[in-house]
Amino acid sequence: MNGRLREYRVRLLATFRSRSAESEEELRFHLEMAEQEALRRGAPVREARLRVGGLSQASDALGDQRTIAWLGDLLHDLRHSARLLAKSPVFATAAVLSLALGIGANTAIFSVVNAVLLRPLAYKDSDRLVTILRRSDFPVAPANYLDWREQSHSFAGMGAAEWWQPNLIGMDQPEHLFGLRLTESLLPLLGIEPLIGRWFVPGEDEAGSEHEVILSYGLWQRRFHGDRRVLGTAMALDGEPYTIVGVMPREFKFAPFWATRAELWAPLAFGTRIHDRAANSLRIFARLAPGVTMTQARAEMATITARLDQEYPGTNRDVAVTELKEKVVGNIELPLLALMVAVGLVLLIACANVAHMLLARAATRHKEMALRTALGAGRARVVRQFLAESLLLAGTGCAAGFVLALWGTRTLIGFSPPDLPRLNTVTIDLHVALFTLGVTVLTGLGCGLAPALAISAANLAGALKEGERGSSERFNRNRVRGALVASEFALALMLLIGAVLLIRSFGALQSIDPGFDAHNLLSMVVSVASTGEAEPARREIFYRQVIDRIRTLPGVRAASGINHLPLGGDLWGLPFTIKGHPKPLPGALPAAVYRVAMPGYFEAMRLPLLRGRDIQTSDDMHAPGVVVINEQAAQRYWPGEDPIGKRIAFGPDWFTIIGIVKGAKQGIWVADIDPEVYLAALQNRSFLGEQKFPGSSYITLVVRTAGDPAAMAAAVQNAVRSFDRNLPISDVVTMDEVIARQNAQPRFEMLVLGIFAGIALLLAAVGIYGVMNYSVSRRTHEIGIRMSLGADRGSVLRMVAGQAILLALGGSVAGLAGSLVLSSAMKGLLYGVRPFDPLTFAAVTAALCLVALVSSSVPARRATKIDPLIALRAE
Amino acid sequence: MPNREKADVLQGTLDLMILQTLATLGPLHGYAVAERLEQISKGALQLNMGTLYPGLLRLEQRGSIRAEWSRTENNRRARYYNITPAGRRRLETEKAEWTRMASIMHALLEEAR
Repeated sequence: MNGRLREYRVRLLATFRSRSAESEEELRFHLEMAEQEALRRGAPVREARLRVGGLSQASDALGDQRTIAWLGDLLHDLRHSARLLAKSPVFATAAVLSLALGIGANTAIFSVVNAVLLRPLAYKDSDRLVTILRRSDFPVAPANYLDWREQSHSFAGMGAAEWWQPNLIGMDQPEHLFGLRLTESLLPLLGIEPLIGRWFVPGEDEAGSEHEVILSYGLWQRRFHGDRRVLGTAMALDGEPYTIVGVMPREFKFAPFWATRAELWAPLAFGTRIHDRAANSLRIFARLAPGVTMTQARAEMATITARLDQEYPGTNRDVAVTELKEKVVGNIELPLLALMVAVGLVLLIACANVAHMLLARAATRHKEMALRTALGAGRARVVRQFLAESLLLAGTGCAAGFVLALWGTRTLIGFSPPDLPRLNTVTIDLHVALFTLGVTVLTGLGCGLAPALAISAANLAGALKEGERGSSERFNRNRVRGALVASEFALALMLLIGAVLLIRSFGALQSIDPGFDAHNLLSMVVSVASTGEAEPARREIFYRQVIDRIRTLPGVRAASGINHLPLGGDLWGLPFTIKGHPKPLPGALPAAVYRVAMPGYFEAMRLPLLRGRDIQTSDDMHAPGVVVINEQAAQRYWPGEDPIGKRIAFGPDWFTIIGIVKGAKQGIWVADIDPEVYLAALQNRSFLGEQKFPGSSYITLVVRTAGDPAAMAAAVQNAVRSFDRNLPISDVVTMDEVIARQNAQPRFEMLVLGIFAGIALLLAAVGIYGVMNYSVSRRTHEIGIRMSLGADRGSVLRMVAGQAILLALGGSVAGLAGSLVLSSAMKGLLYGVRPFDPLTFAAVTAALCLVALVSSSVPARRATKIDPLIALRAE
Repeated sequence: MPNREKADVLQGTLDLMILQTLATLGPLHGYAVAERLEQISKGALQLNMGTLYPGLLRLEQRGSIRAEWSRTENNRRARYYNITPAGRRRLETEKAEWTRMASIMHALLEEAR
């Protein structure tokens, strides 16, 4: 066996080497020896030759043994093709470039699809992991989680995670960190061992003993320089000591959706919250028990939540069990598949282009082929020669495309939306390499097969006699070429319609009115937790003074503060009761987006006050509670009434409505505006720190600037730090950036699809130019006759251009049909434009026909300049 | 017609014959190998070049024999083949196999008679 393996290795190597003359010499020696022997015996020399066999047969047999014959033939064909291609560099370059674009685009997009959609999540047996959320998106209250965990049997484990943003202080640079609090059960569920240290142990998630922390690799490197001795030491988070018990490996990320920036994890202790069914703040993760299917788990959870909802009405509705991976990549699946289809179409167009270029070349090589056939080359041999040529083109295109893909993938990641999941894992791995190889081979076969079959099927012997211009088979080939160009147009039309729909959709997105003036607006989060400003008495003064100081900065028009920035910050919704309205069932309480605003907020945001008055500095602890509501709240809860002067309560605290403002966009750019309530910050106990309340120890400053807001960022931060240099400042961002981030994904889709559609259009234009050019040069004779018979230039022009339009129209009909399918699949990506937007369809079709006309105008003009006398002699 | 059959028989045994020849006689050129086999078989085995040289090449590719250019007694350049240690090992196993097979065949044919 070993010997045989060795034999084939030697033969493989020999295949790539040119053969030496040595074996020839050896055979000749043998022959001579045999002849001498015959002479010695007095026998005729001929007899010796008969005995040892012919020299050339022996040489052939030896050659077969020396190398691997079929591979040698292939190499020979490839070398022959390379020589031929080198002779027509323009054709070769055009073909290779087309294919490189097609293959490169496919490789780039597939490497993204592979990393984002196909690869499993980086947890142990990640396909068994699920999330349990309300309406598959909303968090869950502690008591509900504890009941589910207690009562369900479908899960091998269940854990909860809660948003946590501690301040890291007591080190050289204060920092506002993003982290999560996790129940002890959560990390073992994921099955990823810490790089050093350990997971939390049971009991650590009980109140009072939760002061432990596990670091991400990034945080460990950044703040502790990767020092292993940090294990067991303490770090001060929000002014309390936390013992570092572990560091997770570099690739570890949790959570995979929602709090994706988390860099540290601490135990989650519920304390008195174990009976809380109202404050929904937990994301639940679970692992399916062995042998349990999704359907079974869902059915069990449905039973449990239905029972709980009867016991505690309104607390357990619409609970959904979702596969974790679907939760992570669900939103990006459709756009990525759309891009995959788009690059597939681009590659098809490139193939069609190269196919008809090959066909045109094949026609000029008619005689060569006929000669080969006449000399005994079988049809298979001729087809093989063609395929070798197209495979060589595809292979070269693949190499160039790979380089393009490496560059393209990086560019793609560069301008992709920041929250696109798992993009950091995009690499060219084995799957991508195999995909590209497969695509390349298919491409090579695809664009070589049609011309190869068309040529070899033609009556070659006839062609030899007839001269260069065969009749019937030329007609056939023209039909094939026409069909190829028409399908290019169909494909390009589909892509263009898709791109234009996305462009119009993006335009619609851009023209959405956020309700406030988003330009020249800067914002940043200042956290006071565990700093000198945290004390309630200090905090109020600090907030007022810091805003006052910012207002005095040159270039600042207005400034104020809010708990959470619209569109960029957290979004709280709280239920309230309305005085005079009948008491509703729990769970059916009126609810509103809950904001706490400093005086001057509406002015700084340029959010118009529609009625009543603004929140003022005098609305403080000593004044009666006031709120401003948005117009949506007014319409929803006081239809046909005047809400001003009406009273509402959040828990035990009562507030009087003093004003109505225009609705402002809240969490999601495209979402409708919900009812919203603005409380006065200077009379809000939790905002000022008099009540311990999670997530209320920071203020988001909003600064209206005269010029570029980003240029003011440093000055505003300095003004804040002039009070206390230990204040952590985070999320320094302009409102334009916040909105751009919200629209990053549609922008990305539009740009990428637009680029591909542009490439497709270019390829299709080149295609129709090539076909028309070829057709005119082939018909020189015919056009000459027509002109000598009295056809004027106009009619020749019409004839050529008409043929081009006919091809374009034929392609358009097929393309429109394809577009109906494609656009309806794209429905989920569109905003403010219908998938079958007639204007888009008509405009794109017309534009494409225009491109066909322009592409054919050069050959058409050439046709009119044909001199009949010369043309008639051309034969 | 008998030539065809002879070639088929040779296919399986040619390697063994070449290896045995080189093992007994030491380095030989191709013609000498053919001559030796013809002589041993009293003329029954006439190897033509198209069979012999691919066979030699195959053995060389498998590492059983090694070839190098050298001079004959008449000072002519010729390619000499020599058995390698791996070739010797292979010869031993194939010889044993052949003998075992031959004795089985012999027993079978004797019994049939």
